[in-house]
Amino acid sequence: MYRTEDILHTVRMLQQENLDLRTVTMGINLLDCAGRDGAAVMKAARAKIKRKAGALVRICDQLTTKYGLPIINKRIAVSPASQLLEGHTPKTALGLAQALDQAAAEVSVDLIGGFTALVHKGMTPGERLLIESLPQVLSRTQRLCASVNIGTTKAGMNVDAILLVSETLLKIAGATKEAHGFGCAKLVVFANAAEDNPFMAGAFLGAGEPECVINVGVSGPGVVKRAIERLVEQDPRCTLDEIAEEVKHTAFRVTRTGELIGREVAEMLGMQFGVLDLSLAPTPRVGDSVGEIYQAMGVKVVGAPGTTAAVALLNDAVKKGGAFASSSVGGLSGAFIPVMEDRVLAKAVADGTLTLDKLEAMTAVCSVGLDMILVPGDISSVSLSGIIMDEAAIGIYNQKTTAVRLIPAPGKKVGDKVDFGGLFGSGTVIPVDSSSGSADFVCHGGHIPAPIQSLRN
Amino acid sequence: MNHRYVLSVLIADRVGILSAITSGVTDLGANIEGISQTVVQDYFTVIMTVAFPQAVGEEAIRNAIQSRFHKGEAAVLVRPYISRGRGPVEGDRYILTMSGKDRPGILKALTGYLADKKINVEDLFFRIVGEQVTHIGEVTVPAQLDLKQVQDELRAVMAPFALAIGLQHENLFRATNEVGAIRRLLRP
Repeated sequence: MYRTEDILHTVRMLQQENLDLRTVTMGINLLDCAGRDGAAVMKAARAKIKRKAGALVRICDQLTTKYGLPIINKRIAVSPASQLLEGHTPKTALGLAQALDQAAAEVSVDLIGGFTALVHKGMTPGERLLIESLPQVLSRTQRLCASVNIGTTKAGMNVDAILLVSETLLKIAGATKEAHGFGCAKLVVFANAAEDNPFMAGAFLGAGEPECVINVGVSGPGVVKRAIERLVEQDPRCTLDEIAEEVKHTAFRVTRTGELIGREVAEMLGMQFGVLDLSLAPTPRVGDSVGEIYQAMGVKVVGAPGTTAAVALLNDAVKKGGAFASSSVGGLSGAFIPVMEDRVLAKAVADGTLTLDKLEAMTAVCSVGLDMILVPGDISSVSLSGIIMDEAAIGIYNQKTTAVRLIPAPGKKVGDKVDFGGLFGSGTVIPVDSSSGSADFVCHGGHIPAPIQSLRN
Repeated sequence: MNHRYVLSVLIADRVGILSAITSGVTDLGANIEGISQTVVQDYFTVIMTVAFPQAVGEEAIRNAIQSRFHKGEAAVLVRPYISRGRGPVEGDRYILTMSGKDRPGILKALTGYLADKKINVEDLFFRIVGEQVTHIGEVTVPAQLDLKQVQDELRAVMAPFALAIGLQHENLFRATNEVGAIRRLLRP
């Protein structure tokens, strides 16, 4: 027997508050496709993806019907592609990227991640090849996403890799100039990358993961926003700990829907269920914004003093609700702040209330980092390196994941608008103050040693 | 061997009704095996199954209950219990929700469609606030039916009433409102 209010609460989350399963991401190990013959590697990778993921979309659609819960994206994350590129040429790198892209289209998933290099301690020839191939790869594929891990708490920060990635970012922007540098939206630069993250563009199948695995990303910023609004309407003098408690309970419910679907998808495919990642991931739609949550909490002007504390409260309460809901919580789990993808955050940047400095502070307590931010097209690679180093330092020294997804928009100046359309949203080019003031520091290059926190044995 | 009966009572609601009914049958020697009671607006109704060590007769049971009430106060129905062994339909349990403006004919159209598809109604109630009605039902959908087709047909049948309609597997509601492991929902 069910309580009426419980049933109506669940229905309301679905029908009015945009609760959805943001992504079901299948992890596939491609290491057994490695070989000296580039064409054979491409063929084997494409065949394996089609074999493993052929039924993914059909099964997800069946479960959408069964539960009435929309599964918005079906995706694939492969093991780092750099491992297949050792001893190969740029031609094979592009060919492999196109094979992965075609395989994704053939199984009807919207994105495939894992064109990835993990270079936090050093760089192999295959990893360098992958990074250097990115301008061509990201301008000539549609569904492929790339990521580079340039630091960890255990290994420190590979500044040489950051310098290379920054130069590459500008080349990607140039190669996708007609689309305002859109290629850069498909590359994430990580510190402490999560190896089971189901969200794009940064998903890949990390070392230690199974042959195939189903990871699930649940979202639901609209549900959390409405829960807070109802609480505040009922009691305008409610305290912040009461708001945190409300978020936690809501996160519990949302997380459980993700585990239900994830486990059933895995069971139907005969695969292992990995993790569910409850991350409040916005879309440009009204009612699906993380910025609206901060406004519901009382931060009417996002970027005003107190915003970072609001992010911290939200991120922590989401994690606690998720941890109680399931023992399989993993990935990033918290609150994302992808500026272009969030209507309210994008407007705050356009209004000048949300600056790059404030965003950086917020990333110290959110679940990822500087995400989907437009910077001037004439920014130098050294300035990009400095931003990436700052963000990586926050992650490495606080033992958390941070990420940078910056888009240097070719030909665009501070205040110019860019619209990518769809889920990637639109935004305004943000100023980068004193951008060349640290060039000498950045250009020393080398490696920032691992912090004292790494010496834990 | 036990002699089992099923009985129901309809009566204007007041305090003490269930006490009177259970005392009536217990004092006659019955063990109560199943019971479900509800109040709709001002009226109380209960259905229960009872077992006696010896045959007592339907009339004796009815009299034992009615003797606890004023004359004509309670309508009592008693029948011998015939076991069917299982529910009338085999399939998964779904939660049906419909909400919108209340109009005559909603339940006739709904139950007519469900009966036609052999979808069994396990529980059904609605709540009215102002002109808005919310129906909530638990139904068993036969395994051989195509769920997507059922959802589409149901929306088409109910389209004249302009209601928001949902038909979702019960595990979704258990997942969001219970604290037990999800694994146990998938492998009971």
